[in-house]
Amino acid sequence: MNDDYLWDKTGQPDPEIQRLEEILGTLRYQPKPLVIPRRNYFPLLAIAASLLLALLAGGIWLRVRSHDDVPPQQATMETPGPVPPVNKSAVNPTPLVAHNRRRHKSVSSAAEHQEALMAKEQLMLALRLTTQKLHLVHIKTQHKVG
Amino acid sequence: MKPLFHINIRTPLLALLLVFAPAVMAQVQDSRIQMAGLDHLTAKASQTVEVNLDERLMRIAAKVLSDKDEDERQVKKLVEGIKGVYVKSFQFETDGQYVAADVETIRTQLRGRGWTRLVNVTSKKEGMLEVYLLFNADQVGGLAVLHTDDRELTVVNIVGPVDLDKLAKLEGQLGIPELGIESPKKSKKDDEK
Repeated sequence: MNDDYLWDKTGQPDPEIQRLEEILGTLRYQPKPLVIPRRNYFPLLAIAASLLLALLAGGIWLRVRSHDDVPPQQATMETPGPVPPVNKSAVNPTPLVAHNRRRHKSVSSAAEHQEALMAKEQLMLALRLTTQKLHLVHIKTQHKVG
Repeated sequence: MKPLFHINIRTPLLALLLVFAPAVMAQVQDSRIQMAGLDHLTAKASQTVEVNLDERLMRIAAKVLSDKDEDERQVKKLVEGIKGVYVKSFQFETDGQYVAADVETIRTQLRGRGWTRLVNVTSKKEGMLEVYLLFNADQVGGLAVLHTDDRELTVVNIVGPVDLDKLAKLEGQLGIPELGIESPKKSKKDDEK
């Protein structure tokens, strides 16, 4: 037996060598086309989704937080007892309605106009109450200073 | 081997910070007082005044305030920039209809977040009157008035830059007597805080 088989695969092969060739042959280089791994966008999408969810949650939280249980449009409004005698034209809503209807044409619909007038009345009521309390504070502090 | 796509943990953290920072800032500067804890007093009260004007309603209310009428022009100037006006006022026919814990739900909120108690008046006849201002830096960011009497509980909350000079100009108008209000300089915080 010579070693030619080991050099150029000529001559009589050694069965042991052949067996080793068969075993190791499965691991030989097999040419295949280059495959470039695809870019994984999952993390970016996950971040974007998280941000959207966070924005949504933040928005809902702020909205819920900025509103009382009672919607502003349904706020009850009764004339308080301690409000001091006031100018009747400022209290009676009817003249105000007529007065403002003439002047403010920018409010498009009647419903919006009505809502605006209601809001205005509430605002005036709140300001009257606020200034009344501040007036009381003023009187008391003056009295103490005096 | 260098990965094709590498996420630094700082990136999402920075993004979350950017998302939540405005919300956190809004929380810090918000002068809105939650009054829902007083709602149960409505059933006991003989008279209730409740005003809830958010920013949208303030805007539309300002639209119907006339520029020609002197009183309304003054009010219009006063409410410019104000984001909300909230009032809850209860009148009771008998004493003891509300408890200290009810008032505490309001007072607790006024003890923090930049609120300063300007005035605290106590008298047997009128009960306790407290005036609070919220300062954002040197600017007034909100006003709160708390009046507690044996038969009355009133909370007024104005959210936004309240101009006390303009409020003072309402004196003698809207049926309000002269107040003699002066703009306060920012004072030291209460000892209570």
